[in-house]
Amino acid sequence: MIATERLLEIPGAALEVDDDYEGIDAFLRGKNWTDGLPVVPPTAERVRAMLAYCDRPIDEPVAKIPPRFGEATPIRLAANAVMAGCLPQYFPLVLLAIEALCEEKFNLYGIQATTHPCSTLLVVNGPAAREIGMNSGHNAFGPGNRANATIGRAVRLAMWNIGGGIPASGDMSTHGAPSKYSYCVAENEAANPWEPLNVEMGYSAETSTVTVYGAEPPHNVNDHESLDGEGLLKMIAGTIAQTGANNIYYAGEPLVVIGPEHADSIAKSGFSKRDVKNFLFEHARVPLGNLSDDNIVRRLKQFEPYLPGLTAEQRDRPVPILKGEEAVHVIVVGGAGKHSVYIPTFGPTRPVTLPLKLRDGTLAKSVEDFRQA
Amino acid sequence: MAELRKRGLVTAVIYSGPFRKLGETQARIFGVPELPLIEIPHPLGGVSIDEVRERADVAVPVFVDLIRKHQK
Repeated sequence: MIATERLLEIPGAALEVDDDYEGIDAFLRGKNWTDGLPVVPPTAERVRAMLAYCDRPIDEPVAKIPPRFGEATPIRLAANAVMAGCLPQYFPLVLLAIEALCEEKFNLYGIQATTHPCSTLLVVNGPAAREIGMNSGHNAFGPGNRANATIGRAVRLAMWNIGGGIPASGDMSTHGAPSKYSYCVAENEAANPWEPLNVEMGYSAETSTVTVYGAEPPHNVNDHESLDGEGLLKMIAGTIAQTGANNIYYAGEPLVVIGPEHADSIAKSGFSKRDVKNFLFEHARVPLGNLSDDNIVRRLKQFEPYLPGLTAEQRDRPVPILKGEEAVHVIVVGGAGKHSVYIPTFGPTRPVTLPLKLRDGTLAKSVEDFRQA
Repeated sequence: MAELRKRGLVTAVIYSGPFRKLGETQARIFGVPELPLIEIPHPLGGVSIDEVRERADVAVPVFVDLIRKHQK
């Protein structure tokens, strides 16, 4: 167990504030250290309890978070996790998510600073999600589950407080999005007729993973009528085929989140996950002429790699939204109901999947593996 | 950009109004707080080619001046 005294000895790690909730709240707001919602005061005792589930040196950076490139040390991340309302058992996933977000190909600098309304979606797979009781069913993207809500919020607070993703300064998003408060789900592996995301990414089903996306909020696909997989996929492809999202221009590997009932129908029609991807690649296309003339002229070069010989006059030629059969992720999340969702991405970003590992490199079987004596 | 400046090359960042704070912060973070920031009218996206040229007309003389001063 880490001594509270040691925490307090770290220069700048501790501040004294009157032991009064309203006073602490006002102090934190005065420092601009909250996302606007109330936070749990990050007392030394609470931060210490959070760090009990961390097997790394508390002041050794695990990453640098842009655009400020602040050092994400466990102690700083723990303070943000406390503020977000995390239980200490969640902390290994918070730390893992931060590591994934800071991998170069994710382009967190762009995600943080862009005018686009993307946030950081975390998808958790494997036993850790079940162990901490994450919601992968009804309302998984919405409120009501502590782990989903606070892991996502802890990451966002770290991006705010450590990374400097402050509106109109380090975060230039024109509108922002509600998903900038928190954006975290578990995959509904029990309802997935195909291989879950962690297995698709090369890990065993018993390996817990976090996959991160620089993504817009979900766009709904309502289909209560289609009786087979082809019909359902046609409706999903129709939702993907839009001119306003960045994915028409960039190969940002968007995400299709299929509801369990839709997934069941699609699988029973004989579609493997690869078949689903191939179908969406072939059918999620927009005629060039659906874009404005100025967009066609100015963006033509961006389409040429996918459409050799394309000219501005070829208005009926379909532009693929997905830039290849594998340039889309497909997962299953949700409860009962005839809905799926499409999640476009920032574009110049790639998803990153990392396995939950202890510091010595061994795969963690449980979040309890991180608990320090 | 910061690396080029540290190597002694003439450098500047061209920005439109709302992005000044981001530019100043990034220059400081990357250790080149004196990095010249050249402001052009906002926005840069969604404007005609003529309006893009107008913005270039604002930025180019400032940058040419930076080059001249660097050569002295």
